[in-house]
Amino acid sequence: MKPLNLIALLLFLAGVTWALTRSEPIVREIQVAYFKAISPTLSAGSALETKTRKLLEETRHSKELEARLSVAERETGRLRIIESRFQTIERENAQLRHALDFKKSTNFDVVAAQVIRRHPTTWWQTLEIDAGQDNGVGIQLSVMSNEGLVGIIDRPFQKRSSVLLVTDEKCQVSVRVEGSPEVGILSGQRGEFDKNPTLRLRFLSKDAALRPGQRVFTTGRGGIFQPNILVGTILSVEKGALDSEALVKPAVNLSNLDTVFVVLSENN
Amino acid sequence: MFRYNLSTVFLLLAAFLVQQFMPAFTGLSNARILLVHLVFLCTAVTVATPTMLAMAFIGGLFWDAHCSLAPITMDPEVYTQPVESLPFGYSIVLFAAIGFLMQGLNPLFRQGKWQFSALLTGVAIFLYLGAEFVLISFVRGDFVISRSIIRLMSYTSLLTMLFSPLVFWILYRIARLFDHSLYPEANRGRRR
Repeated sequence: MKPLNLIALLLFLAGVTWALTRSEPIVREIQVAYFKAISPTLSAGSALETKTRKLLEETRHSKELEARLSVAERETGRLRIIESRFQTIERENAQLRHALDFKKSTNFDVVAAQVIRRHPTTWWQTLEIDAGQDNGVGIQLSVMSNEGLVGIIDRPFQKRSSVLLVTDEKCQVSVRVEGSPEVGILSGQRGEFDKNPTLRLRFLSKDAALRPGQRVFTTGRGGIFQPNILVGTILSVEKGALDSEALVKPAVNLSNLDTVFVVLSENN
Repeated sequence: MFRYNLSTVFLLLAAFLVQQFMPAFTGLSNARILLVHLVFLCTAVTVATPTMLAMAFIGGLFWDAHCSLAPITMDPEVYTQPVESLPFGYSIVLFAAIGFLMQGLNPLFRQGKWQFSALLTGVAIFLYLGAEFVLISFVRGDFVISRSIIRLMSYTSLLTMLFSPLVFWILYRIARLFDHSLYPEANRGRRR
């Protein structure tokens, strides 16, 4: 053994003996000194550890919140769909009640029908309803809603029918103006694709004393439309050299039609 | 060489500080990485015996200062036999023992074959823990070894061993910094 190693070993054994023979108070003093020496690092390390743990906790918490938000969003979406279904059903219920009331109160023998199809290119010209020949619907029967005249049956099929709307140029109705002796022919106007198309009332007398807001009813002439069905209200009057014309706003909101009635015959 | 030896002592002291924040691996039977022991073992193979003994003394002394508990004074009428514990300073002997074990591989390490030393760190840690367990069983008079104790010792040894290449790399960098060669015989062979 090298002398240096021997000396080191002897010193080491002396150190071991010293350590093993320390009394309890000395051991505590050594421990106190040890922990005092490393305490700054322990404090700094503990602070760092606390911060890290807090950060991790926050991250975990934010992830939890994110998951909860996602669940809540899905639930909200689901409830919105349910709510919109309820609203649709509620609206439909109100319309049906309204239609039922109308059917009870009207003088006509009518068949209720739902609008089943409307093509965007012929929006103001035609629509299809779910009542046809099976329901007693025939050609050229007038179609009404609870607000007034809608149009006329153009092509009846077995289970559905096509309705020509009053806003179509081909649909001509003999009408009278409320509170005046004026009568004329009402029809749709070509090229009217606005949100609320107007009707043109022709063949009024040259000096027709009409004012905006006067209501227009069917006369019943021609044998197609029953008399006294509300068609619309006067918007403006245009006086000509030989006769006068008026623009009429349809009584029925034709842009949003759900339930209509086909007049089969007059009860009385 | 002196500067390298001194820096390894500082590295051992730094390992004590880092050890405070080493967590237990709950998934592996609460095994821990014994960084102090690892640094000591890796250093022991790179230094001469006197330095190794000095480090064993410092390491063992501080380890006991860190771990040993104050005697619990309980009612002697109830607790007639107080729980015995190992005496302060016993770790110095265990550190020296595993240090000598590591120095047995010094010739291989000097040839640049550090892998054997890395493997031996695991064995040395296992032996250290085993010896500690035997000693404490001896002083308490009841030798009970369970599967969980074996598992804890094995996982701790394995985990600690896995970090030995990192410690060897740090030692290698320190040695290069102070113009000291850890593998003198390997370098001599290359020169030839």
